[in-house]
Amino acid sequence: MAIGTIIGQAIGMMFGIFMMYYTFLNYKRKQFTGNEFVFWTALWIVFITIALFPGILNPLLPLTGALRALDLLTIVGFAFLIFSVFYNYTLTRRNQRQLEAIVSNLAISKRKK
Amino acid sequence: MAAKKIWAVIPAYNEGRSIKSIIENAQKYVDSVVVVDDGSRDSTKNIAEKAGAMVLSHVINLGKGATLRTGCDFAASKRAKYIIVLDADAQHNPADIPRFTEKLGKYDIVFSYRKRSAQMPFVLRFGNWFISRAMSFLYGIDINDTQSGYRAFSAEAYKKIRWNASDYSMETEMISKAGKQKLKYVQIPIGTIYSDKYKGTTIIDGIKIVLNMVWWKIFNGR
Repeated sequence: MAIGTIIGQAIGMMFGIFMMYYTFLNYKRKQFTGNEFVFWTALWIVFITIALFPGILNPLLPLTGALRALDLLTIVGFAFLIFSVFYNYTLTRRNQRQLEAIVSNLAISKRKK
Repeated sequence: MAAKKIWAVIPAYNEGRSIKSIIENAQKYVDSVVVVDDGSRDSTKNIAEKAGAMVLSHVINLGKGATLRTGCDFAASKRAKYIIVLDADAQHNPADIPRFTEKLGKYDIVFSYRKRSAQMPFVLRFGNWFISRAMSFLYGIDINDTQSGYRAFSAEAYKKIRWNASDYSMETEMISKAGKQKLKYVQIPIGTIYSDKYKGTTIIDGIKIVLNMVWWKIFNGR
């Protein structure tokens, strides 16, 4: 196995372990519920497994037109990233609107008392 | 009790130095002055209350658009007939208020434009020109000064132009909605004093405003 591949896999594995730790930290700080903790931990385990054994994606290659498992991983990664950005955007906008409505209503109702 | 007819709405954020004189001068020309304190860290709220204004307080800073919306919603809920909005930083002279109110019978909205002068910072002059051209191109409305915040409108018109933007984009959103609703508008010149070059619309705000205008055009059909 090429040294570059091993380094890449090591980086992927360390990233996955760090994210698992960060997920655990959020769970202990009660920022995540039990279900959220299980979901994200499972996701990072899948990530680490694919980073260490990219060959498990091989059966999917003919279906997607990707030449290598790494290409498929990159495409899926970008798709996930774009989805995350969009999801965060909608969430932030919703929170912003709700916050504005609360602050505004509070200001008006205090004055009317 | 009869409804107070003309309301001045003043958004304020850390304007303790200038708010008193603005309120006192505005009170000469309107029936009620409402100051919306947008989470100031200075004594803006106390000074405004002592000066005799009705004060609404945002517990956190939300931005000019959200602040003006709170004030205008409040004025509309109190059955105001006409609403005048002006800045709290002494840029706008309250003595100009009668020039706005005399137009309000005939028009739904009175916009103002700042006279071009050497006093006006170059960035502001260029930004204003650029936004005005973009507004004309996208919405077919020719407004001399899209960013001048000294405006007046009827409560009926407010229902049609009520903006969603919480920042400085509200100025352009108001214009685009007025254009779409085909409201009758007029523009009057005003004098302006530039007291603080770090306040008001920045270059970043200008870029956001133009991007928002394109966004509204494409996705909201405004």
